[in-house]
Amino acid sequence: MLSDEPVNQFTLSAYQVELLPMTQAHQALLRSWRNQDEIRRQMLSATLITEEQQQAWFKKTHLDPKQLHWVIKFRDQLIGATNVKSLEAGKTAEQANLLEPGLYIGERRYQGNIVAFAPTLAMYDFCFDQLGAQRFRAVVKRSNHNAMSYNQKLGYAIVEDNDLCVLELDLESYRQATAPIKQFLSRTRNAK
Amino acid sequence: MDTQQQLQQAFSDALGIPPEKVTDGLTYNTIPEWDSTAHMVLIAELENVFDVMLDTDDIIDMSSVAQAKLILQKYDVTFV
Repeated sequence: MLSDEPVNQFTLSAYQVELLPMTQAHQALLRSWRNQDEIRRQMLSATLITEEQQQAWFKKTHLDPKQLHWVIKFRDQLIGATNVKSLEAGKTAEQANLLEPGLYIGERRYQGNIVAFAPTLAMYDFCFDQLGAQRFRAVVKRSNHNAMSYNQKLGYAIVEDNDLCVLELDLESYRQATAPIKQFLSRTRNAK
Repeated sequence: MDTQQQLQQAFSDALGIPPEKVTDGLTYNTIPEWDSTAHMVLIAELENVFDVMLDTDDIIDMSSVAQAKLILQKYDVTFV
């Protein structure tokens, strides 16, 4: 059942990035990123998204309590988008123990950069610590080596190894795996 | 060993590549050995070799060997 007002009211700030609730104003940029060949190829649905499809998607998702969507701001620039979805029937994203994450970095210069971990760390910290989530489950094409590697660096373990791999992450694995990355992304300014 | 050689050795050790492959033009994510995990190993190695602690902006911006030199100069490391 859809909400009467936008469900994501959470602005997050950590590890040098800000996560801003996705709004109507972000849709053209999101669509341009989502339609980039290299991003589209890695999605489960690789088709080009029309403006009408984008609007229909936004109209539903920003009122859907099972999903929380953010755009990622780094150094005053929007660089990508991230989200979580409830994987439990009848539970909102704020209530669910099991969440499915999504991420893409639209700005090419930050794809593959260590800063690409920052939005995920900010969002996972929020979900584990503030929302009380217990686990994440990601579904990734096995051919998407970058995403497989990225998720494994976050502490994910493969639980189903097919063309579409299923990976899961619990809090303890996440904390252990991400301690060094967090340390590098949390420093204050020292240089002269 | 001068600072240029130290830098070259640090990259070579951290990335597991021969020192002769460490040139100013070597760029992050353009060789399989320099991925995000290796990047963190590299930062730790550079901090150890040059006795500095890099801030996060510099860790993010260290996208090439040439850039590493520029950044380290901010921490009083000189390259001749």
